[in-house]
Amino acid sequence: MFLRKAEPWLDGSTLGEHLEESGVSRRSFLEFCTEMAVVLGLGSAAAPSVAKALETQKRPTVIWLEMQECTGCVESTIRSEAPTIGDLVLDVVSLDYSETLMAAAGHAAEKARADSMAKNKGSYVLIVTGSVPTKEDGIYCCVAGKTIRQHLEEAAEGAAAIIALGACAHWGSVQAARPNPTGAVGVRDIIKNKPIINIAGCPPIGDVVTATVVHYLTFGRLPSTDREGRPLFAYGNRIHDQCSRRAHFDAGQYVEVFDDENARRGWCLYQVGCKGPATYSPCPIVQWNQRTSWPIGAGHPCIGCTEPYFWDTMSPFYRRLPNVGGFGVEERIDTIGASLAIGAAAGVAAHAGMTVLHQIRSRKNMKQLPEHAPASPEDSNNG
Amino acid sequence: MTTGPARPPARLPWFDTRLPRMRGDITWIYLWGAPLRVSHWLAAVSLVVLFGTGLFISFPFWVSAGEASGHFLMGRFRFVHFLAATVIVFAGIIRVYWLFAGNQFERWPALWPFTRANIGHMGAMLKSYLTLDPKIQPHFVGHNPLAQVAYTAIYVGTTIMMITGFTLYGQSNPGGFFFTIFQWVPGMMGGLQGVRVVHHTVAWLYPIFFSIHIYLAIRADYIERAGVVSSMLTGGRFVASHEKFEDCDLGDHPSVPWHTGEHPTWVKPQ
Ligand code: HEM
Ligand code: HEM
Ligand code: SF4
Ligand code: SF4
Repeated sequence: MFLRKAEPWLDGSTLGEHLEESGVSRRSFLEFCTEMAVVLGLGSAAAPSVAKALETQKRPTVIWLEMQECTGCVESTIRSEAPTIGDLVLDVVSLDYSETLMAAAGHAAEKARADSMAKNKGSYVLIVTGSVPTKEDGIYCCVAGKTIRQHLEEAAEGAAAIIALGACAHWGSVQAARPNPTGAVGVRDIIKNKPIINIAGCPPIGDVVTATVVHYLTFGRLPSTDREGRPLFAYGNRIHDQCSRRAHFDAGQYVEVFDDENARRGWCLYQVGCKGPATYSPCPIVQWNQRTSWPIGAGHPCIGCTEPYFWDTMSPFYRRLPNVGGFGVEERIDTIGASLAIGAAAGVAAHAGMTVLHQIRSRKNMKQLPEHAPASPEDSNNG
Repeated sequence: MTTGPARPPARLPWFDTRLPRMRGDITWIYLWGAPLRVSHWLAAVSLVVLFGTGLFISFPFWVSAGEASGHFLMGRFRFVHFLAATVIVFAGIIRVYWLFAGNQFERWPALWPFTRANIGHMGAMLKSYLTLDPKIQPHFVGHNPLAQVAYTAIYVGTTIMMITGFTLYGQSNPGGFFFTIFQWVPGMMGGLQGVRVVHHTVAWLYPIFFSIHIYLAIRADYIERAGVVSSMLTGGRFVASHEKFEDCDLGDHPSVPWHTGEHPTWVKPQ
């Protein structure tokens, strides 16, 4: 539970009632709804309908499965200096089962989950963080005597929808990076018959998680997504096209090494490996830790953590192009390419010189034909 | 003009005796249709520009000082890159049309020269290039098969560059036209960075091609004296009546002055 002080949200009571009990003012609730409506791309005019839908919402059942992971995603989701109203809404997610957040432990915890899953079969939301190891029958991650794959399959069975939270849950993230010793895969590789939404990022921004849950509560369905399963309201635009350093990119002003004068001036991080041009994420707009800052804002190039298999496809993080077949493209390909191009030009020059010498010599020996001579093969045979 | 007995050729006092001249029954044949020539020169200019600007995009070596608002250096390079991209697409459309409407040397089957005989000719071409001996070189009316391989590679490479280039281009407008029609590309190449790597790597094909191609075109002109370079401008080249070609039997072709308008415009397939 995020808010220890808050009253528990009781089964059967609506969110409106719950907020009132917890002492949340109507005004701050509406402010929250406006913010969410804006993050969701609905515009602030939609705030009243969001508020209405949320208020009348009965407490949904949410099961949070933590698989092979670092808890970074949980951290990011609950990260808040001062508890926000978003946490209150997110309160819902902690209740039925979450290894990190729940108070219960051991058999009691397992029982609570089993009971809740049985009671709310077909209607609960399953949040998943972490990846599923598949090698050696998945023994790399076991909870309560079962592999995490079994847990996932059981929990997915009765879920209405699955929220894959973080890069691990969708693509396996760091565990799935080459050589992927545990055979880690994401939820989508195991569960094929449920709607899965991909809250991408390592970790994702907490506000995006909140907004997705709000969307689900408001509309009763998951938000629309792109081809990677990421909600469009958050992942619809490229970092590069929303970046505060973009003016420096277009101007041709780049940081060349991290401690140069240009870095101090806040110029574009393109040359030190920024993956903003290949990354879809709301970081520049939503920002992190209550809009404190974001990586590029703080002078670090984007590492592309919301993109598929980013540990393999986006690394090395401080070079513009990835490694292919284990070597750096910019170094090798450019060396090979430039050598071939220069070699071709040099070869051409040498060949041209030799051709001219050869021609001069052989033309000296060419027969001079008398005027009006009949055409003969040698005559026009150049050479 | 009176038509009388054939006159001896005009004599220029110095050149006539000193310079070797081509003699015999020489005729000009029309080979390359205007669409091919137009697309060739559009492609030549735009590909050089694309490579040059692409190089800057991948390694912006000039850094501009002062306020960002005062400069638009990368912006300009990208603009010129994209402008040249529209030109190469235009050239490509013309070339594709001519792959179906051109003559036998321009049509799509010519793009695949790997017949048994041609593979032998490629070896002979290579040998002639290496020994500098033009006498062992087989002769072709159209492109020699080795050159054809290079042209086909450039066509394939340019198609890849257009697909990957417009995929990258589409990213600035998600949901837009180019983004949508090339949505399948990143998945195939392992993400957008994969697309960028392909675009970056294939780009090196061009500087290699440029120097070899221009050299060999000029060299062929120098050695064969058949006006091959100007064939990409005027559409035609010279052939001597006794010359044997591997790719086509020109048959009997009396020399007809160009201005009479009775020149052979078509060559019989073998
Ligand atoms: C620099 C960029 C250039 C590119 C990418 C390029 C590309 C090509 C291609 C693809 C063809 C084959 C056309 C076809 O039948 O489909 C071709 C033919 C030709 N090009 Fe270029 N070209 C370039 C520059 C030049 C230049 C500067 C010259 C003149 C010196 C030239 C002279 C020719 C000639 C004479 C042919 C016909 C050669 C033959 O019969 O094999 N090209 N070129
Ligand atoms: C066929 C010849 C072409 C060559 C030689 C060429 C070359 C290059 C090179 C070397 C780069 C830098 C790649 C990197 O290191 O990131 C680049 C970038 C790019 N090219 Fe091309 N290109 C060609 C055609 C095209 C075409 C037809 C398009 C279509 C619009 C295109 C669009 C782009 C885009 C969008 C970028 C990335 C620009 C950016 O990230 O701001 N290119 N090109
Ligand atoms: S996606 Fe990243 S932050 Fe989230 S659990 Fe996996 S490793 Fe940790
Ligand atoms: S810092 Fe990165 S995202 Fe921002 S403009 Fe430069 S390359 Fe693009």
